[in-house]
Amino acid sequence: MVFLQNVIYYIYMAFAAISGFFLVKQLFKREKHKGIVNDIIYAYCIIPFLLRILQIK
Amino acid sequence: MSIYVSTSIILVAMVAAFVLSSIFLKSPDISLAITAAVAVLFGVGFGWTDSFSRVMVEGLFVNLDTVLLFITASIFVSIYSETGAINSVTRKLVSRFQNKWILLAFMGAFMLIPGALTGAGSISIFVLGAMVATVVGAMGLSKKKTAAFVFMFAILSAAAPPVNLWAMMIASGSDIPYVGFDLPLMFPIVIVSIFTIIFLGWGSKRKSKEEVLASLPEADEHMSWWRILTPLVVLIALFLASNYMAHVIPVLGLPLMFVLSAIAAVICNPKKLSIKEYGKIINNTFEQIFPLIATVLSVGMLQNAMSASGVKGLIGITFITLPVIWIYITVLFVAPFLQGALNYGSAVVFGAPLIFLFNSMGFDPKIVAVALSLIFPIGDCLPPSRITGRLAVEAVGYEGKYTSFLLAVLVPCLVLGLIALAMMIWPNSFTFLI
Repeated sequence: MVFLQNVIYYIYMAFAAISGFFLVKQLFKREKHKGIVNDIIYAYCIIPFLLRILQIK
Repeated sequence: MSIYVSTSIILVAMVAAFVLSSIFLKSPDISLAITAAVAVLFGVGFGWTDSFSRVMVEGLFVNLDTVLLFITASIFVSIYSETGAINSVTRKLVSRFQNKWILLAFMGAFMLIPGALTGAGSISIFVLGAMVATVVGAMGLSKKKTAAFVFMFAILSAAAPPVNLWAMMIASGSDIPYVGFDLPLMFPIVIVSIFTIIFLGWGSKRKSKEEVLASLPEADEHMSWWRILTPLVVLIALFLASNYMAHVIPVLGLPLMFVLSAIAAVICNPKKLSIKEYGKIINNTFEQIFPLIATVLSVGMLQNAMSASGVKGLIGITFITLPVIWIYITVLFVAPFLQGALNYGSAVVFGAPLIFLFNSMGFDPKIVAVALSLIFPIGDCLPPSRITGRLAVEAVGYEGKYTSFLLAVLVPCLVLGLIALAMMIWPNSFTFLI
């Protein structure tokens, strides 16, 4: 059970990484929500995903 | 200067920052972030918190799990929709049932599912809005009434269990576990759904079956019932297993359940898509739900900033000392307008302190949280954000005045609000639902 819980923990890390990847991609190239305001919003929305992947928080 | 005066100054500065940034930047998300930043700066200035960046970054983590939940739920809904299962079921229903009321009920029930799973009414509109609008329009409803139908079921879907973001945020803000909310939420939603169908569908005359089928997208001939049902069965089985076999299986969490169901949807998809095509679906889903991600993360920052600056306590104390009759009188106006301005932030600013008040009066906090979480979605058609209202009007292609659309949704929204108000006034009478 402990082993499975660890596996699930790493799966959630992978979710954060995949979400972070798509957000970073859309920060530079996207079709909707354009403009500098949305650039700033994308930028700060990426922060928690990056920190989670880096296991800082 | 007393703490009461200092926190009042911060609150005024926050309101000013929110109003100005909403006017100039026209984005509720960044306005919430700026408001949070102003609160934390004042907190630093008064010496109540030592680090601006720490409070802001920690705030981004407050609702990160909720964000992961509706990212995975939305990906599941998008992939499931891409398999053609929803088109197929709709065509089967239209072919099978001739009765207008049964078809309207099915369309309403369909609309409830994506929003209930993701917590966002806009997802219901993205996934099903156009198709439901076609069928409902074919039942003889005018464009205005069709837009009202789509909007009402979108907000009801957002409030429906298992994922009601307002209730989740109120629960997290007032330290209540998000357990036992399902039946108290379903009970009023079913009543309002039935009322909405009867109210909007009354007096309309349906088109012939052939006309309706011609206006729907073609279904994949390989889409059999087992392909349609397997992803949903996997999802329901995982929900039930996590509830009733909690000591036998590891803690999966809702996001993982949605991912496993999405994998089941991929396996059952009769159209064999490449990994690149699935990547495109996920990319589009991220673009669609990005405003929600931004709102929920920004609300987290605001929550943390309000805690760090003492404003949360100020609002909490003010509400707790307010005569309860004034809350009953004003809640149906204040809560929806706060929702229009703050989106999910309204649940934190207004909802959580009210829970403390009602709890101190001996009322059941879960029923009050449910009642509030039913009132907030009404504001999704109100400015400045009006996300769901705008999407409903666009999905249906209604070109009349927005105020006439608001009048069309007024009566169903009022019924929803009055039922929720009754739950707030007599919460202990509804505890049998928990």
